[in-house]
Amino acid sequence: MKNSIYLLLVTTLILSSCGSTNKVLKSSAYSGMYKEKPLSLLIMPPINRSTNVEAKEFFHTTLNVPIANAGYYVIPPFLSMEILKRESAYDAEMFIDRPLNVFAEIFGADMALFTIITKWDKSSLASKVIVEVEYIIKSTTSGEVLYNRKGTVTYNTSVSAGNSALLSILASVANTAATKYVDVARAANNYTFSDLPAGMYGPQYGLDGGNTAGFKVFKVRLPK
Amino acid sequence: MKKLIYLIALSFIITSCGSTKGLYSWDKYEQASYNYLKKADEKSTEKIIEQYKKVLNKQKGTRKMAPPGMYADYGYFLIQRGNLKEGKANLMKEIVLYPESKIFIDRILKLIEE
Repeated sequence: MKNSIYLLLVTTLILSSCGSTNKVLKSSAYSGMYKEKPLSLLIMPPINRSTNVEAKEFFHTTLNVPIANAGYYVIPPFLSMEILKRESAYDAEMFIDRPLNVFAEIFGADMALFTIITKWDKSSLASKVIVEVEYIIKSTTSGEVLYNRKGTVTYNTSVSAGNSALLSILASVANTAATKYVDVARAANNYTFSDLPAGMYGPQYGLDGGNTAGFKVFKVRLPK
Repeated sequence: MKKLIYLIALSFIITSCGSTKGLYSWDKYEQASYNYLKKADEKSTEKIIEQYKKVLNKQKGTRKMAPPGMYADYGYFLIQRGNLKEGKANLMKEIVLYPESKIFIDRILKLIEE
């Protein structure tokens, strides 16, 4: 009896250490995703309301990887960027509150991803960057918000993230500042989208509705 | 016996929250795409093309196929550099691999014909 209580305790400890303590299931937090079963996503150019002019690019180029990794089809990022520019649609602010059917027609996109960067503060003394960013995935057909998370990410620029240690050493030789800041955006994007329900190409597709969802509004220190 | 079951369950839990191999391998694509977006000069263009080749030809992800968008974007870079034939071939490969890209890629192919 005593033994099994111990084991139970250990189990709960381990379980609680890797998940969040949120009690909302993915199937209800992201119900639109499970209902509409969207596959293809168009990355809209990030909306930058922060004081860092470069933040837009840092985010723009690190959005497609985590979403593809989650099992979705991401519309070719550079090719779509070019078309958005040509059509004078490079300012995502114009579309965020409008019907998005045109993106289904032109790009074949089921979803459009809006990213709003509200804060990008560097503190070189404490070697950290504090980023505040909101992610909104909207359905191009129903116009519904399918996924919405807002995070405050404090990124420690002096610590290299676990397995990318070698990478960051190599990179720091090439270009310290820019490399570091791409890492900040990448970490924020990866963290936020790690909660996406699995897409059609992911092995967990349709099976993860019973998992607990992460917090809609979160604060996190990265790398963990 | 009970202990054994617990142990097995535990090891499952532990492995499931650790990092597992991803659907795709990306090499240094993200860094290269940032550099290109920022500079768009000869060097950064060469670098991103090099990354596309790696991602497309040395894929180590669990799906064992090119990630979404990579054939199309690679084709786009080739076309920009005047290699129309190979560029178009890569755009078509995107459709074969990902039929959901057809609406967009057909539109691009039409634009090129004009």
